[in-house]
Amino acid sequence: MRFAFVLGEIASGMRRNLVMVVSVVLVTFISLTFVGAAGLLQLQINQMKGYWYDRVQVAVFLCVENSTSESCASGPVTDEQRSAIEAKLNSPELSPYVDTVEYESQDQALVHFREQLANSPIVEAVTAEQLPESFRIGLVDPEKYEVISEAFSSEPGVDIVSDQREYLEEIFGYINIASLVALGIAVVMSVGAILLVATTIRLSAFSRRRETGIMRLVGASKAIIQLPFVLEGVIAAILGAAIASCTLWAVLRYGGEWLSREYPQMGFISTQELLLVIPALFLLGALLAGASSLLTLRRYLKV
Amino acid sequence: MIRFEQVTKVYDQKSKPALDGVSLDVDRGEFVFLVGASGSGKSTFIRLVLKEDRATRGAVYVAGQNVANIPSWRVPKLRRGIGVVFQDFRLLPNKSVFANVAFAMQVIGKSRAVIRETVPEVLKTVGLEGKNNRMPHELSGGEQQRVAIARAIVNKPGILLADEPTGNLDPTTSMGIMKVLDKINQNGTTVVMATHDDDIVNTMRKRVVELRDGCVVRDDAQGIYIGETTTTAAAAG
Ligand SMILES: Nc1ncnc2c1ncn2[C@@H]1O[C@H](COP(=O)(O)OP(=O)(O)OP(=O)(O)O)[C@@H](O)[C@H]1O
Ligand SMILES: [Mg+2]
Repeated sequence: MRFAFVLGEIASGMRRNLVMVVSVVLVTFISLTFVGAAGLLQLQINQMKGYWYDRVQVAVFLCVENSTSESCASGPVTDEQRSAIEAKLNSPELSPYVDTVEYESQDQALVHFREQLANSPIVEAVTAEQLPESFRIGLVDPEKYEVISEAFSSEPGVDIVSDQREYLEEIFGYINIASLVALGIAVVMSVGAILLVATTIRLSAFSRRRETGIMRLVGASKAIIQLPFVLEGVIAAILGAAIASCTLWAVLRYGGEWLSREYPQMGFISTQELLLVIPALFLLGALLAGASSLLTLRRYLKV
Repeated sequence: MIRFEQVTKVYDQKSKPALDGVSLDVDRGEFVFLVGASGSGKSTFIRLVLKEDRATRGAVYVAGQNVANIPSWRVPKLRRGIGVVFQDFRLLPNKSVFANVAFAMQVIGKSRAVIRETVPEVLKTVGLEGKNNRMPHELSGGEQQRVAIARAIVNKPGILLADEPTGNLDPTTSMGIMKVLDKINQNGTTVVMATHDDDIVNTMRKRVVELRDGCVVRDDAQGIYIGETTTTAAAAG
């Protein structure tokens, strides 16, 4: 009985207050979408870190004909220089840091180059002699790039030491900024949502003051009097969370799919990550609306 | 049933108290008229019984319990034991007669079966048989007040407080309402009715407590009341 009664009260309250309820739904939708986007971007960073940090290598490129760095002044790398570099890589000082070493010859470099840039017209113009040979070093701890860089950057026959992690860090930096911007928008929108819920509940309490007055007089409990209002706010927020979830799902499903097709090795997050984000959105929406309603009722609904 | 001990209520420090040292005992099953000019403190008395306001000094006992000691979460229980009617009926305009009365039971969690059984009985008690599905705006003032009374007693309170229940009604209709209140009182409910309608008081011949400027100036077992108009006329003459 009480349950049916509360449901009926909520329905009539929402009908009377429809325009406000719709605005609450929309504002929570927008704010939770940004909250979700911020969360997903962080998950994306984590996923890429997990995926890439194991695979990133430090590449020690050896001198070719056209190299311009000082250590290449004597021309292309000689056999002695190459052996010296290889010996140094396997030396006891460096071996604690070095996990794997692979040598890539100019011919292999050309094969990789062609694989990566298939369909592109430059491929035809490039020859093996133009591409540097290299040692690809997998580090025990990818953070310890400096050790290799210091050891080899002025070594004769070495052109440059490049750390693939640097590029990743740059990408992560951009994603991080995007995530912070989304979070900033989310915070502003959430404040808007909280205030709007408060206003809505206040109007709702005002438009139903007759009912609540009578409820008070006949001895209805505080919970029964307040519950319809709180639930009105919470339901509106949950509707907003539902729309936000659908939006994020659609973006990931279609946008993410497209990105993964275009950049297959990047390791984009999929709709699965939503399983983490969506419950958080519902919870956050319900909590914000519930807290905001309760605080408003404390001021505007005498019980 | 209701006991006031030296109760003083000050709303506003600058003005004089709305009730000033009122001591009063209302026994179970009594019918008491609370009379006095406008502003004499009748509504304040009713508000204190309901714990809508707290007494500034003194103690208010309802059913043996000092209301000051009732924690706020227990106040609904206190109010379930008290029915109230007002001059302005306070019906819900978008609910039928039946629904208005049923509302008072729904909000305290009574089952549908109990509601279906009790509401028609109570509507019969107040003389509204066959008007279950009318809307408030389809009723006369007297009928609306009967709905309000039905709502006030549907949960079987021990006390019925009526704050000028006939204030908006003509004398004939008022007498009809008084018959209903008397009947409720005969069934064992304690009734306290605030009014300044001298005709009603004089016809009913019940206990009369007169307030003036927040003080009890008279408490007669089967009293009469000489209303404001008469008093004013006498003062002027
Ligand atoms: N909420 C309030 N705040 C301040 N003063 C109040 C309040 N309620 C009542 N008063 C004052 O207390 C005094 C008694 O008011 P009360 O309403 O009890 O009188 P009453 O006897 O019911 O009058 P009436 O016959 O006009 O209804 C009045 O002077 C009134 O102005
Ligand atoms: Mg009054």
